[in-house]
Amino acid sequence: MHMSARAAIADIGASKRARNRALFAHFLRRELTSRYLGSVTGLAWALLAPLALLAVYDFVFTNVFKATAFAGTSFLAFVAVALWPWLATQEALMRGTLSLPGYAGMIRKVAFPHEIVVVATVAATFALQFAGYVAVLVVLTALGQPLHLSGLVVAIPVWIVVATAVCGIAFALAAVQVFVRDVEHVLAPVLMILMYLAPILYPLSIVPENLRTLVAANPFTWAVARLRDALLDGRLAPAWGDVVAVAVALFLFAGGRFVFRRLSPHFEDFV
Amino acid sequence: MSAHAPTATQPALEATSSADPATSPDAALRAREADVARDVLMRLSHVGKDYAKIETRGGRLRLVFDLLRGKGAAHVFRALDDVSLTLARGESLGIVGENGAGKSTLLKIVAGVIQPTRGEASVGGRVGALLELGAGFHPEYSGLANIDLAAALLGLSPAEIAAKRDAIIAFADIGEHIRDPIKQYSSGMVVRLGFAVATALSPDILITDEVLAVGDESFQKRCIAWMERFLDDGGTLMLCSHSMYHIQKLCAHALWLKDGRVAQYGPASDVTRAYLAYHEEKSASAKSAMPLVQAMAGAVYAIQAFEASADEIDQGEALTLSGNVYSPDGRAPVVVVGIVRADGTPVYGVASDMDGVAMEPSGERRFAFTIAFPALPLAPGKYWLRAHAADPEGMRVFDNVERALFVRGRTRELGLVHLAHRWHDGVLR
Repeated sequence: MHMSARAAIADIGASKRARNRALFAHFLRRELTSRYLGSVTGLAWALLAPLALLAVYDFVFTNVFKATAFAGTSFLAFVAVALWPWLATQEALMRGTLSLPGYAGMIRKVAFPHEIVVVATVAATFALQFAGYVAVLVVLTALGQPLHLSGLVVAIPVWIVVATAVCGIAFALAAVQVFVRDVEHVLAPVLMILMYLAPILYPLSIVPENLRTLVAANPFTWAVARLRDALLDGRLAPAWGDVVAVAVALFLFAGGRFVFRRLSPHFEDFV
Repeated sequence: MSAHAPTATQPALEATSSADPATSPDAALRAREADVARDVLMRLSHVGKDYAKIETRGGRLRLVFDLLRGKGAAHVFRALDDVSLTLARGESLGIVGENGAGKSTLLKIVAGVIQPTRGEASVGGRVGALLELGAGFHPEYSGLANIDLAAALLGLSPAEIAAKRDAIIAFADIGEHIRDPIKQYSSGMVVRLGFAVATALSPDILITDEVLAVGDESFQKRCIAWMERFLDDGGTLMLCSHSMYHIQKLCAHALWLKDGRVAQYGPASDVTRAYLAYHEEKSASAKSAMPLVQAMAGAVYAIQAFEASADEIDQGEALTLSGNVYSPDGRAPVVVVGIVRADGTPVYGVASDMDGVAMEPSGERRFAFTIAFPALPLAPGKYWLRAHAADPEGMRVFDNVERALFVRGRTRELGLVHLAHRWHDGVLR
């Protein structure tokens, strides 16, 4: 009887995993299809908004500030390579933080791991933004911008590492947001500050020596540097910094999930 | 299955008191093995649930820190305390209690939506739950999309979902609305779809929270018919309802929760009788405390007491019903009195305004009524006596109070009532 009970428990575990996978696929599909449901431009908006932003940056920095001297490449390619992952990060954090109330009806009435909601939201955002990223890189290359598309071999794992870290942060923010609604209000300005504290619109090399450590400490700086190395310069070899980045991402993921799991039993009452 | 004749499989249900599975791992293992032998699907041992109370603005932040450090909330409301019970396959349990007694909390624990703060809850098998009038639907998505979601939540494969979809749509019977977002549904439609989903996915335990209160008559009948067949086929049911009629009809046993604790536990007829008696006492004591009644009563016409001269009569005996009605605006209300058979078949009903009877005031905003049946010709069996309060226009019925009536007798006549009759020899000219 002992053995069969244990086997039964293992069986339940396996079916639960299968169910959670199916649930994740379901949420992901809904996040992807419903995001632009009811908007006229539909999915195109996912591409149009960043393109408009890119055009503005190009106008301001190339034509007004004459910033073309950066790293010997065109400013357009220089910014495009780093802008999309940042937009994905920003959007995933905002959406992830606010993802749980949208599932309030389910959280109050159905037993399921609430983590799936946050993971699906973050994954959907990164998937859409990555599609836009690839499209923009291909178009820019076709327009004669100096890009190495072989760098995508590095870009894909870099995006995955960033998404992992973002997912961890979103776990913590989403969980705390359920109890303290201030999180979303604090998040918007913080994201704005972090964007300018990351070398997205400028290279790390022109930051004054005494401030450089501050900018380099932004976790996003690593992603920007690796993407520029790979896509602008065609340097694909891994570096020690990558190991640190992966470790930091896993730490953020695990930490965020710890916070989430501590708080999630009480969502039902507060969401 | 009958409500007042427990079958051989049902007395297995008992409140656990002697063995405490939480004390030692050995005892826990033994309890588990005993459960397997008895095919116990659910076991709650000393289960309690606290809800955090937020008293100040900073309380929310404080709560987050307390929870992160693995501490409980500092200020709590005890929704449920020290509830122990087991439910084996094929049993049916009704849960009664006042609003806020912890009924929904208990069902949520069994459904796995929340974890108990104290004690242990173990539930085996597939649980189909309809909590707080919904199956956990996503308001933005269509009925169809929500069917798929609910099926995925229960771990069904896409092929299994496709096979069940038509049956669910047919049972819900909400027509083209199945393609509309749930947020556009009426509450009755949500319950219809919820019940259709919860039942079509062949759960081992079906948990329903007041489904029968919403939905029109024909849907209620279909729900009850479905639940009866489900129980006949060996299904396990937990039903939460304010209707003692439904509890007695569907459940062999009942649990009365009062302020989060088990007040009584046993055969459904005993528990519902005690529960109704408690309410009668409560309204009787409310009678003597008039100012309190005035403060508590809402803005609706309500039956405040409903008494009968006897709970058991012989066929043909007299019966007098009396009671009090609260009128929020002091105008004389209309009282409707009716008799239904235990299975819900109406026998007779009459309203005070039909007979041109004006209600006599018995106090401030209170009106008394008495109705006497000199010789009640009901066939032997069980009945429900019902009293409803309606507005003076007799347009809107506000309240429904029931009490049971047993009619004794040994007649072999058929039907609901004895009709006066006479046999004649030969042909009547």
